[in-house]
Amino acid sequence: MAELPGIERETLEMDVVIVGGGPGGLATAMHLARLIKQHNDSGKGEKLEGLSIALLEKGKEIGSHGISGAVMDPRALDELIPDWRKKDCPAVAVGTDEMWYLTESGKIKAPIMPPPLQNHGNYVVSLAELLRWMEPFVAEAPEMNIFPEFPAARVLIEAGKVVGVRTADKGIDKNGEAKGNFEPGIDIRAKIVILAEGPRGTLTKQLYEQFDLGKGKNPQVFALGVKEIWEVPAGRFKPGQVIHTMGFPLDKETFGGAFIYGMKDNLVDIGMVVGLDARNPTTDSHHELQRLKTHPAIRAILEGGKLVAAGAKAIPEGGYFSMPKMWGDGFMIVGDSASYLNGARLKGVHLAMKSGMLAAEAALEALVAGDYSDAKLGAYERKFEASWAKTELWKDRNFHQGFEHGLYAGMINAGLGMITGGRGFGVANRLEATAGHERMERIKRYFASDDPHPPEKIKFDGKLTFDKVTDVYYGGVVHEENQPAHLLIRDTEVCITKCTEEYGNPCLHFCPANVYEPRPTDDGRGKVPFLNFTNCFHCKTCDILDPYQVITWVPPEGGGGPNYKKL
Amino acid sequence: MNSIVCITQVPDTETRIKIGGDGRSIDETGVKFVVSPYDEYALEEAVKIREAKGAGDVTVVCFGPERAQSAIRDCLARGATKAIHVIGDSLRADSLGIAKVLAAVIRSQPHDLVFVGKQGVGTDNSLVGPMLAELLGIAHVTVVTKLEVGDGKVTAYRETEIAEEVIECSLPALVAAQKGLNNPRFASIKGIMAAKKIAIESKTLADLGLAEGDVYETRVKVVAMELPREKPAGRKIDGSDPVAAAKEIVRYLHEEVKAF
Repeated sequence: MAELPGIERETLEMDVVIVGGGPGGLATAMHLARLIKQHNDSGKGEKLEGLSIALLEKGKEIGSHGISGAVMDPRALDELIPDWRKKDCPAVAVGTDEMWYLTESGKIKAPIMPPPLQNHGNYVVSLAELLRWMEPFVAEAPEMNIFPEFPAARVLIEAGKVVGVRTADKGIDKNGEAKGNFEPGIDIRAKIVILAEGPRGTLTKQLYEQFDLGKGKNPQVFALGVKEIWEVPAGRFKPGQVIHTMGFPLDKETFGGAFIYGMKDNLVDIGMVVGLDARNPTTDSHHELQRLKTHPAIRAILEGGKLVAAGAKAIPEGGYFSMPKMWGDGFMIVGDSASYLNGARLKGVHLAMKSGMLAAEAALEALVAGDYSDAKLGAYERKFEASWAKTELWKDRNFHQGFEHGLYAGMINAGLGMITGGRGFGVANRLEATAGHERMERIKRYFASDDPHPPEKIKFDGKLTFDKVTDVYYGGVVHEENQPAHLLIRDTEVCITKCTEEYGNPCLHFCPANVYEPRPTDDGRGKVPFLNFTNCFHCKTCDILDPYQVITWVPPEGGGGPNYKKL
Repeated sequence: MNSIVCITQVPDTETRIKIGGDGRSIDETGVKFVVSPYDEYALEEAVKIREAKGAGDVTVVCFGPERAQSAIRDCLARGATKAIHVIGDSLRADSLGIAKVLAAVIRSQPHDLVFVGKQGVGTDNSLVGPMLAELLGIAHVTVVTKLEVGDGKVTAYRETEIAEEVIECSLPALVAAQKGLNNPRFASIKGIMAAKKIAIESKTLADLGLAEGDVYETRVKVVAMELPREKPAGRKIDGSDPVAAAKEIVRYLHEEVKAF
């Protein structure tokens, strides 16, 4: 969202502001409110009275941008809401658990489940539903203010310290002019800012650059999860049934796989996770999901059913070594924004929640001491290092890096890691990683041709397979049309010259929402991107993977984006 | 100048409606409810008048279930100063029933202007406003796109299919707002926080001296509800050759649609 210059902005004083209402943000808010109450009830030290906490969420409501697989490890929820099983939580215990290796038309069922994928004791959940279920527990605290439809636009930094956030302006037209209902963003000043923005957060990115938070760490490596929900004929797929697949439709050098999870009411999650670090610049996760569905074993599950929802989201796969310095003067970063995700187990919800709880503990100590410095908030990292979250992430710390050498190397690395407590290929304590956009190869080189025309891999039949725009519709994506594009492209000239020539415009392929729509060039030589920002799923892939790093994703007007109910 | 704004809470207009198990109501599971869009124009106009005059109250009146409180809060965040919530199963009430409830509330409140949206999105009957005006014995103007407030009177510009009518009427009067009347504001963070501190007065039908039989299904009863038939998928015509595309469109309109 553009920010109008020269606007006088109101200021609001808060004690803590949390950016993002996902599992990390909600857990932070809920746990912090509880810790404040416990502190006040304990009678120890000075009471923390009249505090105010703000939680900003860019979606229309809490949960509307929530998307994940998901099979959730309940470990963090057990700590956050110990009696959650008695509170109508929308979760289905995992029943059967299978791993398939898919060939073009066949499948090989793994005789034993690799330990990271064993899901006994875990729960199939819809993150969108889980967040909606959590919200009332968070909102009941007297100090809590939850603000849906209010994206944060930037972090406020003064004298090297984070002092608050600015919310995004509303009511700007497509030419960047104020409309009649223009509502300027305000500056929320807070003692502690906690970023829980999910993968590739806008404010997190600002802090990475400002404070060099990635120094000495591996770059973050992402995958893109593209997912549909299908309603299938009764009895076809059991609630709690879990299948993971590898192999088809991905080639042997591309990281990824698929998941199929059974929910209640004959609903089935089917999704594809594809590394955003493929060599092939035309890699298209949406198309791979559509191809997956044409496999006989998968078609058999879906046939006669119908598509009911769709969505997409980037996933931080980098693990422990990609975790940034996750705190500083006046701020902490939790959840996916700080790489709290276990790629080997395909799980992040529990780690996001746990990180929020740890940050809440550090925040309480800071509030009690009245000290919000880097040194004080460093307690967050010490708490993490002493927690089960660290133990878990440490064990799989070299998982994703192994796949830089292809599927088989990745599997061998993962296997050796299991025996050696996570050592890379059984020996190295730390394997380095390469950012995805740097691994992408130029199109002529990849296809070994001077005039590459990569074949269309799939035609959509509108029954089993759907184009991107159809999935956007099923994601409930709506944005105010009359606003500036929320994808800031620093140099559009690069797009139609260098990028077309060198990479064949990968955005046409990697964007799952057809935000970058291929349109024929005037000379009929090929296709170049045309920006349809209103299609956006908020997955962040373009910000991550564009080879020239000229695209910056910023939040559109509050409330815009997908409207996920069961994703 | 005191204004009353009658609002109703409806499913977000982006909702994909599902029919409930009873076959005569919608399934509310997972549905986000909002202030009915035309009511937003009504509220904005009342708030603007109050801001211009620098005095008076804007009282939101809503008849609806408990969940309607979020819609009332939203109105308070956008400039209303008071709120009265009549708690009841408004979905079982027909337009006259709703008008009776609103009239019972408004009679006891100072009111120079009563605002409604020109219709409630979802039921779209456009009946409550005129019925309410009749019950209150005041003038009303519907589908208003512009309003000028004078001394003891208002001039309302009314949109019709053939012309714009200009209607002058004395106060108190009821105005049914149409899109275009104004540009409804967003709730601001400060507005939302201030709204939290305003107490919503809640009432029951009994408090208003009404019996269930006065309000629910007095004349109209929903016996069944079904979704409109699904539209067939649109057809795409390849536009790479504009001349061929134009020919195909003409052929389609002529031969298949028989438009001419």
